Amino acid sequence: MSVSQALAHNVTPGDAGYIQEIWGVKLIPFAYLGAKHMVTGYDHILFLLGVVFFLYRMKDVAIYVSLFAIGHSVTMLAGVWFGWGVNAYIVDAIIGLSVVYKALDNLGAYQRWFGFQPDTKAATLIFGFFHGTGLATKILDYEIASEGLLPNLLAFNVGVEIGQIMALAVILIVMGYWRKSPAFFRQAYTANVAMMSMGFILVGYQITGYFVAS
Amino acid sequence: MFNAEKPSLEELPSSAQLRRSTIIAGVAAVAILVTVVLPAEYGVDPTRVGRVLGLTEMGEIKTQLAQEAEMDRQMEAAGDDQSSLLNNILGVFVGTAHAQEQDVWQDVLTFTLAPDASADIKMVMAEGATADYAWFAEGGRINFDLHAHGGDQSITYERGRGETSGEGSIEAAFDGNHGWFWRNRDSAEITVTLQVSGDYNEIIEAY
Repeated sequence: MSVSQALAHNVTPGDAGYIQEIWGVKLIPFAYLGAKHMVTGYDHILFLLGVVFFLYRMKDVAIYVSLFAIGHSVTMLAGVWFGWGVNAYIVDAIIGLSVVYKALDNLGAYQRWFGFQPDTKAATLIFGFFHGTGLATKILDYEIASEGLLPNLLAFNVGVEIGQIMALAVILIVMGYWRKSPAFFRQAYTANVAMMSMGFILVGYQITGYFVAS
Repeated sequence: MFNAEKPSLEELPSSAQLRRSTIIAGVAAVAILVTVVLPAEYGVDPTRVGRVLGLTEMGEIKTQLAQEAEMDRQMEAAGDDQSSLLNNILGVFVGTAHAQEQDVWQDVLTFTLAPDASADIKMVMAEGATADYAWFAEGGRINFDLHAHGGDQSITYERGRGETSGEGSIEAAFDGNHGWFWRNRDSAEITVTLQVSGDYNEIIEAY
């Protein structure tokens, strides 16, 4: 027998560890965690960047971002509530695919290849559903206490939207400067190709993870 | 070629607008960093806003968990050499009762935990041995992790949070220390009374 055996706590550090130690309604902490998840979630940010890349009217930005928000809120709340045990690697691979899809869309590839433009609003909503499923899977990993689950979940969702607005504000400011430069439309092509490449990397990373980890 | 219409220059934000937005974003970022992010991540709360929002508690718990994870890691790395000595310092050996009446608990332990304090109580059991237990908490609700360590093995039997009582029995999955890690995440002092009976040699307590 050793003291390490007597004292090892099996603690989970970080956000998950915090969540696993608390119970009851904690609206602001959960809103914070939702916002943090969005701001530090590079896959969501990358897709968001793709969505607003060629949107410069605030009205259009608002429509598309709302569609994305409706999409991911629905599946996030339903997924946690009904405990959908979706494989995180597969969902995250689809999220990577959403980045590739949007980059090709921005490049006008569908018009060139198929002579037709898929509905960009519908695509944003549908990929929003997938992003929400990914969020739900991560929240289920957190093992939130059943006491206060619904209010905490709603607070988390509000936090996700706040985080999305904050990320969007930064993206729009940077894009604002960039669009004013005469080189924007030339650089935009390369930027979307780079974005597509990052989407492919995410897909490969998640698919490999699926086989390596399971 | 692009799936986008080219905006005319007037439709884009003006330079003054962009400059203003940048300044606002920077100021907002500093305010959010100090009042929200630092309390929630590190428990650093110079403005006291984080405490009001309930975020400083999150930062403190995370910092504590990180320290404990580091302690666990170091103890594992240190190996078993110093462990018997440490056991003598940290461990309180509770005498094993012999041949008592069947319906009386072999050992009754009572301990009090301040908010955020923790305790570790383990029974040394051989594989296949069983022990019965019942416990209750007074003054608040407590978190527990009923688990075991032995050799390279570890197992979690049950975890709970915000509970006031529990009972059941443990069947040791392997030779080792089987028992509870308790932590008070409530706001007041909690007194826990733990009663155990069964095939164990000794009880090790650490606070």
